[in-house]
Amino acid sequence: MRRHAYGRAYGLVAAVAALLASAACSSTPYSDDAGAPAGTGGRTIRPVDGCGKSSWTDPADLATDRLPARCMPLAPGPQPLAKTRKLTIATGTLSAEYVAPLEVALDKGEFEKEGLDVTLKVLPTPDALPLLAKGDIDALWAAPEAAVMNGIKGGFDIKWVAGNFSPAPKSKSGLWARLKDGETAAQVRLAGRSLGTMIGKGSVIAYPMEKTLERHGGGLDKIQYRQLGSADVLTALQNGGVDSAWLLDPIWRKVDGRPGYAFLGGQPLGEPLGGMLYGRSLLHDDVDAGVALLRAYLRTVNTYFASDYKQDAGFVGYLAKLLKTDEAVLESTPSLRMDWEIREGTTTRLQSAYRAQGVATGDALPESKTVDRSLYEEAVGHVP
Amino acid sequence: MTTIAPGRQPESVLVRRPGPEELHPVRTHRRRRALELSLAVAVPLVLVLWWQLAADQRWIDARVYPAPSTILSDGWDRAAAGDLWPDVWATLKRVLAGYAIGTAAGYALGLLMGSLPLIRAALEPLLDALYVVPKLALLPVFLNMFGLGEGPQVALVAATVFFFVWISTMSAVIAIPSGHLDAGRVFGASPWQMFRHVLLPASLPSVLVGARIAAGVAVLVIVASEQIAASNGLGHLIFDSRALFQNDVMFVGIVCVAVLGVLFSELVRILGRLLTPWAPRDRGRGQS
Repeated sequence: MRRHAYGRAYGLVAAVAALLASAACSSTPYSDDAGAPAGTGGRTIRPVDGCGKSSWTDPADLATDRLPARCMPLAPGPQPLAKTRKLTIATGTLSAEYVAPLEVALDKGEFEKEGLDVTLKVLPTPDALPLLAKGDIDALWAAPEAAVMNGIKGGFDIKWVAGNFSPAPKSKSGLWARLKDGETAAQVRLAGRSLGTMIGKGSVIAYPMEKTLERHGGGLDKIQYRQLGSADVLTALQNGGVDSAWLLDPIWRKVDGRPGYAFLGGQPLGEPLGGMLYGRSLLHDDVDAGVALLRAYLRTVNTYFASDYKQDAGFVGYLAKLLKTDEAVLESTPSLRMDWEIREGTTTRLQSAYRAQGVATGDALPESKTVDRSLYEEAVGHVP
Repeated sequence: MTTIAPGRQPESVLVRRPGPEELHPVRTHRRRRALELSLAVAVPLVLVLWWQLAADQRWIDARVYPAPSTILSDGWDRAAAGDLWPDVWATLKRVLAGYAIGTAAGYALGLLMGSLPLIRAALEPLLDALYVVPKLALLPVFLNMFGLGEGPQVALVAATVFFFVWISTMSAVIAIPSGHLDAGRVFGASPWQMFRHVLLPASLPSVLVGARIAAGVAVLVIVASEQIAASNGLGHLIFDSRALFQNDVMFVGIVCVAVLGVLFSELVRILGRLLTPWAPRDRGRGQS
């Protein structure tokens, strides 16, 4: 009996080994996305009513006072797809102001007009990336963070296809420092000092952080980086737990104008650092749907967010309800400058900051691997 | 083998022929040990080989689930470059410090509560209530108490370990036969002699079982805690690399945690064997 039991056990191991060997001859469902054909090349681009010269700006223009590209309200007009297409867009949050154009587009039926059945799904970027690459989700409303760059380096075909916003000139969301006695903002030196932030390493904020720190004798590799909870960042700055802190909207209002605190700098004006990322499904498999999604987004920006949208109290109230946030919080900060275009060299500068932060190695990816402007250019009828 | 002897009606005699255990006890035992060891090695090995094959054949997406060979190679490179050891050391320090504090406190209070019914009556309901609180939920409290730094991490491990050791010590002391305690008293044992010659030997085997379970849980808790409130350690490495989509590094961290947990738990088991030679032998895994 025992001998039979041993025989069965050894037999089982042999069977598993045989199964392994036979399985080795099966198919290969997963492969690198590299080498996939370009999706938008060779498409016919026609002029679009309501989108003239002002609907496109030169990506090389990094002027801080550059006016963002705009079409007329309600333009570009919808071009419904022949068949309704279901799309899932992942976003890290539904309550942040920068998600408002997507939520307004959904609420006002702008996606439907294009023949798109859009679902917004809350999902952190690292979780969304493999799903985006596999086509389980179609787009990601996030930013070209270090995780995205690592995914692209690993072979995922993901591209940044549209921007989101740049801050208003009046915004003071950014790096704040506690001043020592008699010290002025220009005199602040941050090398060797601590910086509190709720933003994790590898975020796009690394770039403006690095830029601001460099102006004040620091750098991401020269400061003590302390990641804190959202509620703790301001407390740590106020009680001296950290020497400086990256304060987001609307937290910076708590120290704005108070003695002993100085605003050193924030996200660069005129340079969006996030927006829409597409995977292979919209970049290659269904480019029409990819363009349609951006067309609905651009139309929403042109119609509802073209300028200082917070001037309209009724619209602010509507946004507060839509975003499920406090109206007073929305009113306390200036309007974001919604901007669908992507500046030249942004991903290179971002990667340089990631390297300084120690979260990226190797050569920086060229812009051709990380950015595709052709979809929003097609949506406004711009021929490159 | 059992048969019924024929030809003896109406009575039947049950005959049991000697099995291999009786006929060849040494050989059978050796064969059994060989089978158990083979299974213990073969099952994980087959699973790892299967994983490797699945990655090589692209049945799974190797960018999301890197092949074992990639993990091994990346781990080796990180270890050789010295990038891995600071995280391993940071986690180990926290686990060891918290484990030592938690074990000492749990043992002391377990002895006290097991020996003195009034103290048990006073503290047991409170400690029972605290026992069921997920220890990770105490992290914000420890952060407020000890600030940023090692304090909250060590306190969290200590709190986790404490309850395992406390419960096993207290129940072991309560279960000591009254005859043993009476014998100590009859011989006029001092409190120290009572502890040294009665309580310690009677409770230590159970305490070490609790301590061994706590060793594994301590590693589990510190990894979760380092994700939230640490700037280094294996837990930080795992979750940081996940956020940066460095899946190979994340798996290196996971493997390191598994190895650390097994080594730590085995160390406590071996220590238990050395400290309690009189106790029924904990034969460990795969040894019948």
